[in-house]
Amino acid sequence: MTEIKIALVGNPNVGKSTVFNRLTGLRQKVGNYPGITVEKKTGSFTHQQTRYHVIDLPGAYGIHPSSLDEEIVYDVLVDQTNPNHPELVVVIGDPFNIKRAVFLYQQIREMGLPAIFVVNMMDEAERSGTSIDVSKLENVLSTKVVLTDARSGKGIDQLKDALAFKPNGYAPSFVIPEEFTAATQYIREHTGQRNEYIAWLYLSQKQNKHLNNNQVEEITTARQTHGLNYHRLQIREALARHASLENQLTGVIKDPAKKKQYATERADHVLTHPVWGYVIFFALLLLIFQAIYTWSGPFMDAIDNAFAWLASSAGEWLPAGPINGLITDGIIAGIGGIVIFIPQIAILFIFISLMEESGYMSRVVYLMDRWLRPFGLSGKSAVPLMSGAACAIPAVMSARTIENDKERLITILVTPFMTCSARLPIYIVIIGLVIPSEKILGLDLQGLVLFGMYALGIVAALGSAWVLKQLMKSKYKSYLILELPTYKYPVVRNVLLNVWDKTKGFVWGAGKIILAISIILWVLGSFGVDERFTNAEDVVRSEKPGISETDFENEVQSQKLEYSFLGTMGRFIEPVIEPLGYDWKMGIGLISSFAAREVFVSTMATVYSLGGTDDELTIRERMAAEINPNTGKPAYNFASGISLLLFYAFAMQCMSTIAIVRKETNSWKWTFIQLAFMTGFAYIAALVAYQLLK
Amino acid sequence: MSQHKSINQLQNGETATIVGYLSDEIPIKIYEMGLLPGVTLTKKQQLPFNGPVYLRIQDNPNAIALRKSEADLILIESIL
Repeated sequence: MTEIKIALVGNPNVGKSTVFNRLTGLRQKVGNYPGITVEKKTGSFTHQQTRYHVIDLPGAYGIHPSSLDEEIVYDVLVDQTNPNHPELVVVIGDPFNIKRAVFLYQQIREMGLPAIFVVNMMDEAERSGTSIDVSKLENVLSTKVVLTDARSGKGIDQLKDALAFKPNGYAPSFVIPEEFTAATQYIREHTGQRNEYIAWLYLSQKQNKHLNNNQVEEITTARQTHGLNYHRLQIREALARHASLENQLTGVIKDPAKKKQYATERADHVLTHPVWGYVIFFALLLLIFQAIYTWSGPFMDAIDNAFAWLASSAGEWLPAGPINGLITDGIIAGIGGIVIFIPQIAILFIFISLMEESGYMSRVVYLMDRWLRPFGLSGKSAVPLMSGAACAIPAVMSARTIENDKERLITILVTPFMTCSARLPIYIVIIGLVIPSEKILGLDLQGLVLFGMYALGIVAALGSAWVLKQLMKSKYKSYLILELPTYKYPVVRNVLLNVWDKTKGFVWGAGKIILAISIILWVLGSFGVDERFTNAEDVVRSEKPGISETDFENEVQSQKLEYSFLGTMGRFIEPVIEPLGYDWKMGIGLISSFAAREVFVSTMATVYSLGGTDDELTIRERMAAEINPNTGKPAYNFASGISLLLFYAFAMQCMSTIAIVRKETNSWKWTFIQLAFMTGFAYIAALVAYQLLK
Repeated sequence: MSQHKSINQLQNGETATIVGYLSDEIPIKIYEMGLLPGVTLTKKQQLPFNGPVYLRIQDNPNAIALRKSEADLILIESIL
């Protein structure tokens, strides 16, 4: 069977992902391009004895990128050694913006790549009376043209047939202007590139990442000798192409004489209204958060019960002792602590994908731009900040659509302040322990405090964005040029696939960390070299001779923990965290939850069960009963509880976020600044709160 | 070109044709999105406090939003 690599390329908002989902169905996977975190969607299918490997490239308006995800398109298409370099490109456009899609198509053909052309969303065109002269378009493009409506599946079979088409006889439509031919000639001689248009692209692209240093130097030389500015070259090309496209495409699209008012325009009259637009958006936000908390309730209860049952049956079945504690309190409780957030994360991503699919997300960007700009952010930062309420990892990745470097960097740096779902288990447990369950003005006090924690996250994000804006300089002017596509009914299949990918990624990533941390903690807590650990029984006997048998057991257990490797680590950092109101056991929780915040609760469970002999108590009961040996007060009292809440609100306690920020910013400096700023700020806030409240 | 108005000077509901740009240093995206000389557009609305403008391009169901700073760079001639 022959195997062919094809790439889907197209302008944003043309339904490219829907075509991709139609072609590949569930046989697709989401990964990353090597070295960068831009999401890579690949899939495959077999048609007429040929196996097609499809890659869905990010949406782009042209071959000259304006944002990070658009860079991928050029990198993959220009570099024949790139593992994703396709043998056939499928360029997808929509009937109302054929010109723009042909613009991109011609650039791709002139790079020497074979391509076919798809006009998607034909149903929408037919409804508005627009039709396309296919044979005329095929003549202009010298290739096969397929009309599809991926939402209903129309034309997908014809598209599959058309993939066997071998396009040839293409005549370039952009002729390199004479004043530049000397420069392109130089490039061809000195970089070994034979295609003249690619030589032109070398000169007109801001970056050519696939070239080696010598080649890049030759390009710089050529630019200097001929006095070229890459931006000017891009504009020259864009204007020349549009001028010739105007003639080439005459008569290809037939519009009805009578213009009807589009439904989108009527909807936008309200949805982007200077007053109602905001009212609707904030009402929607309220609905989303309401849904996250109320709709998820029954599912979370069910999951909670299932894991409690699992833990107790495992606890009964396994022999008592530390391994029992590891499995029931560490692993099962830890994994349960992640699984329980699946309903909330899934609901949030359902809303976010619905907003993206329907076209409303672009309106959010439009509405929020003015209000985020004073903080050094762009309207496009609204999407990462909102997703940050679920998980900072996909949120930081979604910042890649922000064109301006400074706005993108600030967005990445402040998004982790948003209250992600991993903070919830800590908030809920601590609030349950230290905030009285009372009603204030008819509102649940614990609920109000939780809401306050969310508000605090937003204030911290915007406040630090404002500070960063004052400190940073930008090389590039910030701009917003945003397409607001027509509203569409979301494709259920696209939404479900997206929710599935995001939720799976979160659970899998966090689950692995929890499992590893639980085992490491257990090992560190069960072994030690100190005399008081190896010889705990004798030490206790000699120090407290008259002790009763049960007290003796407890005393031995807690002394063993205190002098195990784990206890030594906790006691090592105790001087630093004592002013915040924490003891050495909580110090262990802080250390282990550096990997991920949600680990704190399961760590405390492991620590307290290692130190005690009673296996009957739940995590919360254990925490409530725990006494801080330094103060003699409950370990989780009002002052230390508020201090803990503030610490987790601000501290960068998430290794996955640190890793993703490092990848996305490509800078250890900014990653370190973010880590130091967040954790330093958290320490001071927790310190001040404890010292004032104790 | 100085006698030409920019998109910013349009009233809501006013239609105009693009005639040029105030500077060379405008983002390539403006060209790629089709905001080219000869294109007819209508300003539909603007958000408060000098927020972005909402434009409709003739014969195109998709709308385009621009910040005031970009709208300043695109010169137009009103159609009466």
